[in-house]
Amino acid sequence: MTGRFLARNKVAIAGFAHSQIVRRPERPLGATAVETARHAIADAGLTVDQIDGFVSAALLPTTGGHDVQDGVSTVTSAWLAQRLGADPAYVVGFQGVGQITGSLSLAVNAIASGAADYVLFHRALHNPPGKYNDNPMVEARGAHQWIAPQGFFGAMPAVAMAYNEYCLRYGATREAMATTVVEARKNGSRIPWSAWRGRPLTVEDYLAQPQVFEPMCRLDADMPVEGVAVFILTSAERARDLPNKPVYVSGFASGYPQEHRATLHWTLDDMMAGGEALSRRLWAATGLGPSEIDLPQLYDGFSPFIYIWLEALGFCQIGEAHDLILSGGIDSDRPGSLPVLSGGGAIGNGRMHGVPQMLENYLQLSGRAGDRQRPGVTTGLACHSTPHYGGVVVYTNDPA
Amino acid sequence: MTEANRSPVPASAEAARGRPLPVPDKSSAAFWEAAGRHVLALAKCSGCGKMTLPPDITCPNCLCTDPRFSFEPVDGRGRIRSWVVMRKSFLQGFDLPFVLVDVQLDDHPHVRIVGRLLDGPAAPLKLGATVKVAFEDLAPDVSVPAFQLDQAS
Repeated sequence: MTGRFLARNKVAIAGFAHSQIVRRPERPLGATAVETARHAIADAGLTVDQIDGFVSAALLPTTGGHDVQDGVSTVTSAWLAQRLGADPAYVVGFQGVGQITGSLSLAVNAIASGAADYVLFHRALHNPPGKYNDNPMVEARGAHQWIAPQGFFGAMPAVAMAYNEYCLRYGATREAMATTVVEARKNGSRIPWSAWRGRPLTVEDYLAQPQVFEPMCRLDADMPVEGVAVFILTSAERARDLPNKPVYVSGFASGYPQEHRATLHWTLDDMMAGGEALSRRLWAATGLGPSEIDLPQLYDGFSPFIYIWLEALGFCQIGEAHDLILSGGIDSDRPGSLPVLSGGGAIGNGRMHGVPQMLENYLQLSGRAGDRQRPGVTTGLACHSTPHYGGVVVYTNDPA
Repeated sequence: MTEANRSPVPASAEAARGRPLPVPDKSSAAFWEAAGRHVLALAKCSGCGKMTLPPDITCPNCLCTDPRFSFEPVDGRGRIRSWVVMRKSFLQGFDLPFVLVDVQLDDHPHVRIVGRLLDGPAAPLKLGATVKVAFEDLAPDVSVPAFQLDQAS
């Protein structure tokens, strides 16, 4: 696609439901998914027989080599449709890295094309028993042979490598990252379903943490959790006849790595090159620019991604995100700031893998954020993953 | 590479505790055979002649589908673009802490390799510092590329 997204604002979110986010669940993930799906269908003013499309992404994002079982450690759309007793015409799953943004594009395209009228879009995240990422391998095969023999393994060391490159190049301090993480946890502490509700953090708490993958500490990574989010999407016309204020999808773009490297070898330049291409496509598709986004919800599965997305999408100059943050520029309680973590993000909610960014867009733009409702919010965006593997979706409540 | 490049840090104790060993396959056998002789070799595309690492199904430079990579020795000097001090590991068998460096090769600047810095966690590090390849011997004929600060630089 070279220009404007033809289905711009023609598909909308009509309702949602979200489970409690918990560290360790009391029942199987699939049971929570079915119940949350029923709540979302009812929230949209629909019944299950009207749902003719199911779209999701089912990745269990761990390097720990855990067995994957549908309904237990993941929930696919086909599994969920069957347990709801639905008879869908359209069932698909997204296989890429930017799970929420990529799968959302499949749902939007299905409705825009007429492949489905009402799509149930979900994401179910599991926290497997035992260690999340520890891997007992003694033989490094395939892609792992190029990284594991030297001890380079897991996403967090990979992000730490790119983040330290940022620190070394631009002089970013731990205080700037502490401010970022404290902002995420502040907002997450105010969210009733968050795994971190009522548990904000101070800069001193952050600075006292050992740097396990220096320069990163444990608080720079989101906590593995169990939780389910479900959204119901339909056409803009149908959505206007349903109970909730529609939130329209204005466009989306994904990023792709442009350099060949060993698995998980993510460099700062590769992320920014992917981001430059993604950004160009996103603004062309939506006809918007960063200054028109009231609610940029940036992805923070690892806190350094906030710097990367701020700069890649043009919310500040390259190399200046850490200065912006230190001067209060992302404080969601400060008028005029960029509230990039107002929904708490992954660090403030738990590892919901792009859900908090999408949910905050939906809640604020539909006027359903309750005590946290922000005035005058018209247009937002939600990111997932990194700019060179993930994506961005732009939302609005004003389709004119 | 010469005997002078032999690792100053015998790592066989770590390997004995379960540090992961590379398992060569058809695409990588020549790389690990060279590493076993303490030679860093990159994959050279038979079509465009450019080097890459790791080898891919297609050539990342000319995009041909039959790159028939050969592995050719390279100098193994480069510059530190970043590093991480590892005080924890998701893998078993490593003595903590250790330092990983992201090295851009001088003669093949599009190739970057992450390896252990054998000078240890107390070594002075700076952006752009020059390193040279070194090898850790993990088992008979199994050596893994790593890096050492180049004191001459």
